Amino acid sequence: MSSLSSAFSFRWLRSLGVASCLLGEVGGALLRRSVPLREVTTHAATLCGRCFIPVNITIFPFGAVMGLQGMQILDLFSAHRLVSTLLAQFVIQELGPVLAAVLVAAQGGSSFAAELGTMRIKDEISATEVMAVDPIAWHVAPRLLAMALVVPLLVVIANFFGILGSYTVAVGLYDQAHGVFMAHLYENVGSLDVLLSALKGLCFGVLIGLIAVWKGFTASGGAEGVGRAVNDTVVQAVMFILVFNYLLSSLFFGGGT
Amino acid sequence: MASFSFGRERGHPIICFRNVRKAFGPKVVLDGVDMELRSGETSVIIGPSGAGKSVCLKLLVGLLEPDQGEVWVDGVQVNSANENDLYALRKRIGMLFQDGALFDSMSVADNIAFPLRRHTRLGEDAIRAKVCAVLDQVGLPGVEQQMPAELSGGMRKRVSLARAIITEPQIILFDEPNSGLDPVRSDEIDALIQRMKVELGITFVIISHDIVGTFRVADHIAMLHGGTLIAQGSPSDLLRSPKAEVRRFLSRNLGLPSLPERP
Amino acid sequence: MSAGLMSVSVRKIGAYALFCCDCAVSTLQHGVRWNRVMEEGHKLGVKAFPVLAVMAVFVGTNLAIQGFTAFRQLGAGSLLGMFVALAGVREVCPILAATMIAAKGGTEMTAQLAVMNTKEQIDALEVMAVDPRAELVAPSVFAIMLVLPALTIIAVAFSIGAAYLVAVHQLHVGSGDFLYHCLGNFRIYDLWVGLLKACVFGIVIASVSGYFGFHSERGPAGVGRSTNQAVVAMCVVCVSLNFLLSAIAYG
Repeated sequence: MSSLSSAFSFRWLRSLGVASCLLGEVGGALLRRSVPLREVTTHAATLCGRCFIPVNITIFPFGAVMGLQGMQILDLFSAHRLVSTLLAQFVIQELGPVLAAVLVAAQGGSSFAAELGTMRIKDEISATEVMAVDPIAWHVAPRLLAMALVVPLLVVIANFFGILGSYTVAVGLYDQAHGVFMAHLYENVGSLDVLLSALKGLCFGVLIGLIAVWKGFTASGGAEGVGRAVNDTVVQAVMFILVFNYLLSSLFFGGGT
Repeated sequence: MASFSFGRERGHPIICFRNVRKAFGPKVVLDGVDMELRSGETSVIIGPSGAGKSVCLKLLVGLLEPDQGEVWVDGVQVNSANENDLYALRKRIGMLFQDGALFDSMSVADNIAFPLRRHTRLGEDAIRAKVCAVLDQVGLPGVEQQMPAELSGGMRKRVSLARAIITEPQIILFDEPNSGLDPVRSDEIDALIQRMKVELGITFVIISHDIVGTFRVADHIAMLHGGTLIAQGSPSDLLRSPKAEVRRFLSRNLGLPSLPERP
Repeated sequence: MSAGLMSVSVRKIGAYALFCCDCAVSTLQHGVRWNRVMEEGHKLGVKAFPVLAVMAVFVGTNLAIQGFTAFRQLGAGSLLGMFVALAGVREVCPILAATMIAAKGGTEMTAQLAVMNTKEQIDALEVMAVDPRAELVAPSVFAIMLVLPALTIIAVAFSIGAAYLVAVHQLHVGSGDFLYHCLGNFRIYDLWVGLLKACVFGIVIASVSGYFGFHSERGPAGVGRSTNQAVVAMCVVCVSLNFLLSAIAYG
């Protein structure tokens, strides 16, 4: 039993080592300025295109549900006017970054892992190396950078759509006046919060990118291997997003007394 | 093993394609194919890659439906049969897939026993005995407990053949039995097919682009080219065929006299 | 959204609906193999549990932090317990458990089916006169449908526990206050709605996985792509259904 648990923890430690090596190599490639900018922008553009719709059509109903439940809870205090204040805060500080990151992990992260995994299985990565091109600089670093660029952007857009979702419920379903909703919207959140929200997005982006390229780059074992890499990417990315979210929320938005 | 033929005389046409047409989008794969394969014979469908051989096989078992025409197998019109008839027919057919199509999550023994467990009420002991017997028959005794991933390509094909014959079918379909094998393994598979042909005496339908193997096992050969059937007949008929496509296809492996159009 | 994309997505929805009908008909015709359901459910539950526990804990902590900042404005920081109980049971935990199962069980099932499709194993089932939908999809549908409510309850327990720890030790809310308001607002009706949601999400996740697995292109790239599309489709459908169900139950 003890050997089993030590083997288990050893595997974790090893994975951590491999991932940080990869991060180090990406950093090295960046410092050497050998990362092709065109690749970064291409990946960023496809990532945006792939994730824009899923992120926003997910956060919209989520914002709407929060509006619905918020109205119910605030009913207890007869404080309906506060719904926009609290929702804006909730969406910008938590829901926007987390939901956008989870969806990007599910859509973009998994597709990056699948692409890299397929390249690995089909020996395309070895072929790149044989042609004396650094696969880290060409295939890995651009994807990681694209992720770090795109997620904050999507978070900001997601914030907007999330609030729009709750606006639809509050104003459309519960007949709150448009003016009331808008007047209380900025009571608790300012541009700093939006910035911090995007910063959260940046952290999540690096996290997703790292997990995706690591899983994809180290995939093995045919079509099953690719499937496994995709699966691991989504599960681990979502888990680490939630863990880091707690740390970042505690750091940024006080929580402390 | 005479019980397999169910009293049907050899030579009776068991598989019929009537003016079959199949297209995927704009790409026409089969364009008006008429073909008759007789029971008890080993028929080989040959042709270059992309000529529609695999599609023929899939039409035959109802995995695909033709856009036009009729496919008859053993008195059942496959393309318009309802699910029950189709399943009843499929229980009389065995198929060896290109890479075996063994279920990865099951051991070899479970893979082979799968159709028996699903379609018969045999006890575990009887099933185990039968699995053992068919594995012997395909020349792989003692691999029952291995997993498909541990087997080589040739072994996977043999296990797949064992799974196909365990239900004592009337027709066995082979999808490229030689593909992906080195010459030695390829010869072994050919020898196995030949032996099975003698032992079982049932209808074999093989699709292949391996010419040497084809001439070793075939009673009847049909050649597809560009979606149409350009030649069919016994191996010797085919060797005498004057058509340029046939001769070009055969010449590479059989050392036929030089092509007529070659300068 | 361009017209082409619209028509493609409408066609996909149609194909998905057809697939679901096929599955239902096959299941009715061939029956459900309950031992496979139990096997799948067991495997899924055991695999999902540790990941879900970690996620639930960290969602609970953030519920507490957000609830606390929100209610401090109303001058009622002590009502945090109520917020955690209501938000957790009604909305967050069912959707959390569903996301987790979608990410873990759903992607795994899609990938597995796509691999089987690639290796012609689904065709092999057909040729052996075994209905692949009844054989492969139906057990997973029932397994996920049964496991997800159980996981939701586990998620509720873990997230409320974590929220309690954060509230009391990090935010310094009174322990008695928290528990009083939390348990006082823990309604059985909410729990039933949450479990019903979980059941619905389970059916969606399993059938979407099945659809994308059966309709994948062959080869490693196809496996990756269908897995990827499946998990996004699940998230979108689950969140949209969540709104509908919440609107019906509480609107």
